[in-house]
Amino acid sequence: MFKRKLPIMLFVLVVGMAFIVTGCGGADTSPEPPAKATFSYAMSGAYPPFSYFDDNDNLLGFDVEIGTALAEKMGLEADPVPTPWQALPLGLNAGRYDAIIGSMTITEARLEKFDFSDPYYRSGPKLFVRADSNIKGVDDLTAESTIAVLMESVYEELAREYTDKLKFYDNDVLALRELAAGRADAVITDQIVGLTNAKELGLDIVSVGDLLMVEEIGIAIRKGETDLLNAVNQALADIKADGTYLAISEKYVGADISGD
Amino acid sequence: MGIIEYAVDFYSLLVKSYPIFIQATALTLRLTVAALGIGILIGLVFAMMKISKNRFFNAIADGYITVIRGTPLIVQIFWIYYGLAPIINVPAFWAASLALAVHNGAYIAEIFRGGIQSINRGQMEAARSVGMTYGLAMRRIVLPQAFKRCIPPLGNQFIIGLKDSSLAAFVTMPELFMTAMRRAANQPGNALEYYTIAGLYYLALVVVFAFLVKKLERRLDVD
Repeated sequence: MFKRKLPIMLFVLVVGMAFIVTGCGGADTSPEPPAKATFSYAMSGAYPPFSYFDDNDNLLGFDVEIGTALAEKMGLEADPVPTPWQALPLGLNAGRYDAIIGSMTITEARLEKFDFSDPYYRSGPKLFVRADSNIKGVDDLTAESTIAVLMESVYEELAREYTDKLKFYDNDVLALRELAAGRADAVITDQIVGLTNAKELGLDIVSVGDLLMVEEIGIAIRKGETDLLNAVNQALADIKADGTYLAISEKYVGADISGD
Repeated sequence: MGIIEYAVDFYSLLVKSYPIFIQATALTLRLTVAALGIGILIGLVFAMMKISKNRFFNAIADGYITVIRGTPLIVQIFWIYYGLAPIINVPAFWAASLALAVHNGAYIAEIFRGGIQSINRGQMEAARSVGMTYGLAMRRIVLPQAFKRCIPPLGNQFIIGLKDSSLAAFVTMPELFMTAMRRAANQPGNALEYYTIAGLYYLALVVVFAFLVKKLERRLDVD
């Protein structure tokens, strides 16, 4: 009985699979032809308060709303695309989205690969240590100090100036927790990110010393797309002029971070 | 905090996060079904090529299995999603499913080949001697028996495929693991709990699936 039924079973299985698969395809492929042209932009979605998911899985944050505001000024439909941090440049080059609004610092190295808009905010890294640490500033760091940093970030280069003993993480929250747990001696990260997370997590860590540098954070756009770059810069100036920028900045960071 | 309070907190987190995780589970299942459905077809085709007398087919099947089994799944997923993007823009769902399908296909091909070769040669010879063609003998005599023997290792491979679908998180798919990562990034104080919750969902899926495979095995044995 089994032998005779098997080919039928197999056939049903295969056809069934094909149906499920094609069925899924139809439902799943993101709506390609939008009614309105879109402005798609990427961010990690794991970098509160700049981009994060709330309890209902809504994507929020400073970067996300700046993107929405810029799209509105350009007369485009905003389409934020959460993408893992390390893959952000890959996705931009691959044409997965039009821009990266992902708290990416403008650096020489990155300028070789993309164009950047005018800075949309300014911040800077600080050294974070445990509250009981005897490291009171970068001068107390030795070659033996272990520094935890976000991989592929500007803090990585900065940390190399002080030590070769680096530990890499793919988000700052992990690095800060490692510091609190005693598995690293210091963390170099953005002061806003460090302070917000330390408070949120109740970690017994503090920032010491001054800003290690002033970073200009820009919107990355593929090289040669000058029209888009100009439109973004114009939209950025517009939202700063009409108060939209300030409202978003105060909502998420509690201060004006434009640095203008 | 006492263990009771912790358990209560954990339970409330589990209940509160339920709607999002169920949605993520649905995506995980869709990825897995798509991947394994295509993977079975790929596996069947390459198993046939591998046992065929045709040297050309043998070489293709060998090459495929060597390359796919010899490279990490995450490399294959990135290759399709980011690497191929300038040439062909595969949507994230399909990039992940296809990579999973191609990857699992190589293992499934080996499972099918093992199953088919475990059937005594005499069966094929006997079938041919009563006048069946090679294809008919394969379909009516060898494959049904082979398929039965393949079920335990196939079930095993499906479980691996289900868990490997978590790698789709790295190409932006909000499946179970991605959901846990997002929750953990947003509420780092509960990172441990959210990763545990994601683990529990996978565990539940695997336990249910393993139960179904066991039932199927038992039914086929009775026959």
